[in-house]
Amino acid sequence: MSESTPAAVICGIGACLPPRVVSNEEVVRRGVLETTDAWIRTRTGVAERRRAAAGVSTGDLAAAAGRAALASAGTEHADLLLLATTTPDRRCPATAPEVAYRLGLGHVPAFDLAAVCSGFLYGLATADALLRAGVCSRPLVIGAETYSTIVDPLDRDTAAVFGDGAGATLLRPGRSGEPGAVRAAHLGSDGSGGDLISIAAGGSRRPDTTPRLCREVRYFRMRGREVYRHAVRRMTESSATVLGHAGWSSDSVRAFIGHQANQRILDAVAQRLAIAPQHCFGNIRDVGNTAAASIPLALAGTAARGAVRPGARTLLTAFGGGLTWASVAANWPGAAPHHRPPEPREASADTDRRTADSTSRTTDRSAPRHSTRNRKAPPWNPSATTWPAS
Amino acid sequence: MESVRDHLAGVLTEKFEVAPERLTPDATLAGLELDSLAVVELFLTLQEHWRVPLDENEEGASELSLREIAALVEARCDGSRTGGPAPGAEGPR
Repeated sequence: MSESTPAAVICGIGACLPPRVVSNEEVVRRGVLETTDAWIRTRTGVAERRRAAAGVSTGDLAAAAGRAALASAGTEHADLLLLATTTPDRRCPATAPEVAYRLGLGHVPAFDLAAVCSGFLYGLATADALLRAGVCSRPLVIGAETYSTIVDPLDRDTAAVFGDGAGATLLRPGRSGEPGAVRAAHLGSDGSGGDLISIAAGGSRRPDTTPRLCREVRYFRMRGREVYRHAVRRMTESSATVLGHAGWSSDSVRAFIGHQANQRILDAVAQRLAIAPQHCFGNIRDVGNTAAASIPLALAGTAARGAVRPGARTLLTAFGGGLTWASVAANWPGAAPHHRPPEPREASADTDRRTADSTSRTTDRSAPRHSTRNRKAPPWNPSATTWPAS
Repeated sequence: MESVRDHLAGVLTEKFEVAPERLTPDATLAGLELDSLAVVELFLTLQEHWRVPLDENEEGASELSLREIAALVEARCDGSRTGGPAPGAEGPR
């Protein structure tokens, strides 16, 4: 690919992290878990995560991150909205159209994309292709999650890992040599591993989600050791493939951001790709695994620190339930990321929210209950980028 | 040709930072303080290097001794047409 080939260019980066911080000690205490802060840090790399207040939905985080990405790009317009999420506001309809409406985007195409933790890169690859095909020219790609609504607080393997948050990027037409240009993408799946990461109930195969069902089928479950093996192998292979598509050697990569699933998985992938620790970036220590929001949040946090030179060769890779995996080669964007707090919908519209464990959710009564649409964005308050782990 | 035992020892000392003097044939992975994810990573590393199928989820994998693990890899190399160091493999990774 020459440097002047038409390409989708990341021109805006947005993030939304709920203000409520949940420490490892709190996770252990709440779930009466047989573990410790030290065990969680050693096994996962996570020290704390964020949790959306009761009544704050995935769409509320997505709207904030999307608005922040628009502000980052200095525009109010996008002509397509793609929302990657595992935790939509409702089973039907998709969350994306309402987010587009709340952002004032008009009657643009808007849809959800379900690829679990690979969702954002699936979305980025899809938006890149749609832009280059002429379907749209300013697609807004958002990854947003409220895993606190699907994770079992009594399950050590997941309660200690996942957090809430949202990240977004706005794309525009440009050239492949520009900072932010998407250079190549690679996507894959293997449905034979569909049971490794799943919520058994709540879909058409097993619609019943009433509390009388056992926790094993009501809540998100992940078979960690098997996932580790697949995640390392698939992210490594997919990364090598996308680097080949881009014509880049792994030692030319200056910024590597893997899905923030587990620090040890990230270390294993980077080691196999022979990417030096100083070129690896992430935020798992401070926000945990935020699933589809993971990559854009890490991208935003790293960009906010100015840790990578715009234009530097960048490798993004993810793995998730499905099983799914995805990798994108891009030039590091030049956009300065913006952060916005969650944008809760009007209180009256939230009365239908029911969580599987609503009584144990923390209610943050200080959270704003009014629209924050016209509020001035606060200064960037990013999660610290933590790789290499200190 | 590199032996499985030498490779296993190299991986344990370089990648998992196990002190060389602890690497006796009867030492188990649990005894060497490899946790369950480390055991998965070790088996994945051996599988990639020797190009043989290894099921690291076998019951009691942590209780296998280094002698038993080396024998397991050797047996699968012998029984596989593709077994042996991966092309370009240069010691522990």
